[in-house]
Amino acid sequence: MAVTGTVLVVFAVVHLVGNLKIFLGPEQLDGYAHWLHEDLLAPLVPHGWFIWIFRAVMLAALLAHVAAGVVLRRRARVARGPHRRQGLRGLRSFQARSMLVTGTVLLLFVVFHVLDITTGTRPAATDAFVPGEAYANIVSSFQRPAVAAFYVLAIGVLTLHLAHGLWSVVNDLGATGRRLRATGAAVAGVVGLLVLVGNLLIPVAVLTGVVA
Amino acid sequence: MRLTLEVWRQPDATSAGAFETYVVSDATAEMTLLELLDRLNDQLVEEGREPVAFESDCREGICGCCGVNVDGRPHGPQANTPSCEQHVRSFADGDHVVLEPLRSAAFPVLKDLVVDRSALDRVIQAGGHVAVDAGTAPDADSTRIDHATAEMALDFAACIGCGACVAACPNGSASLFTGAKLTHLASLPQTRAERGRRAVAMVDQMEHDFGPCSTYGECAVVCPAGIPLSAIAAVGKERMRAFLRGRAT
Repeated sequence: MAVTGTVLVVFAVVHLVGNLKIFLGPEQLDGYAHWLHEDLLAPLVPHGWFIWIFRAVMLAALLAHVAAGVVLRRRARVARGPHRRQGLRGLRSFQARSMLVTGTVLLLFVVFHVLDITTGTRPAATDAFVPGEAYANIVSSFQRPAVAAFYVLAIGVLTLHLAHGLWSVVNDLGATGRRLRATGAAVAGVVGLLVLVGNLLIPVAVLTGVVA
Repeated sequence: MRLTLEVWRQPDATSAGAFETYVVSDATAEMTLLELLDRLNDQLVEEGREPVAFESDCREGICGCCGVNVDGRPHGPQANTPSCEQHVRSFADGDHVVLEPLRSAAFPVLKDLVVDRSALDRVIQAGGHVAVDAGTAPDADSTRIDHATAEMALDFAACIGCGACVAACPNGSASLFTGAKLTHLASLPQTRAERGRRAVAMVDQMEHDFGPCSTYGECAVVCPAGIPLSAIAAVGKERMRAFLRGRAT
């Protein structure tokens, strides 16, 4: 859970940094997308191989993460028995309780997002989808208000899931020292906020016409 | 003070159990929760009814046997305080208070508010022995332990095994308990020889009876011994250490 979760968080952060190139213009973003697809790690691996290695790793991490989450919840239910804990309040316990729900929303979003921006499968993608033109595809996708709203919801959910997930990673991987735990908690919060703010900038920029 | 108590009544381990409502009209603010139950039992005995079974021994937060759920929360409304030191002053006159046994599939109810916490003992038993020289008392300076380490070991040794952490956890996890025991022993040099073997055995036994940790943090809120949340990280730390080293120490 902790290891696959960390892989997915690292991806979410790198993905965000890459996507912020949308503010540098179409050439920069499309060039970056092309580099990811064709040239990254070449000639260490042949041209075009990296993206498939990367996709295989991400898919494996995602499947393992989901499977571990389901097993965890089942073990928890059996161990707790029929009398559920009641009266839990506060953000932390809300985040912890809703991990399976937020995770399911994220999984649905990832499926939609891949169909929309990667494969260009309609009706998830717009009719204007052109393979390789990442900038234009993102802009036309976000010009649909329902898609932008779903994206904003997914980012909010991602922040909740990721902040609690990172704090769990700190605990699962055995950080017992006071300073290390404080650092871990701060990193979980800061990464969560960065992912929230950074990702929200993109649809806001598209909808306000800053990026068009 | 007049309190309406909704108490879990269950004649034995095999019966279903249900809540029954009682009114205690002469409760006072300085009574502890257990004294409130004593008062209720006096009342029930006078009426010729079966008193409520609950566990208590020291009534000063040392023995760890008195845990009950108060309004769904282990021990009671006050954080890090055992049931025997919770007071009626936490409630207002006329309040409705729900009392039930500590809830976890690992803690079967024996009668009314009494649960069987043997699952915690099994984790301790799995930890096994500590090999120490049982000859003449050692010289005070023969094993050097600095003050901070000794204090830390004692802080984690403060766990009284009451089971509130398990009952507080929506997952029924005993990570705080197991982590406290592992940290307390792992911090002292006398127990190093068994460190890895102990971690593997105790964590395996814990996972057999208890649930996984999802970092709710509720355990540390109710723990009457004030075991910090870092104990749950010690479970992963000690288990991984044993795995990476691949040997008993």
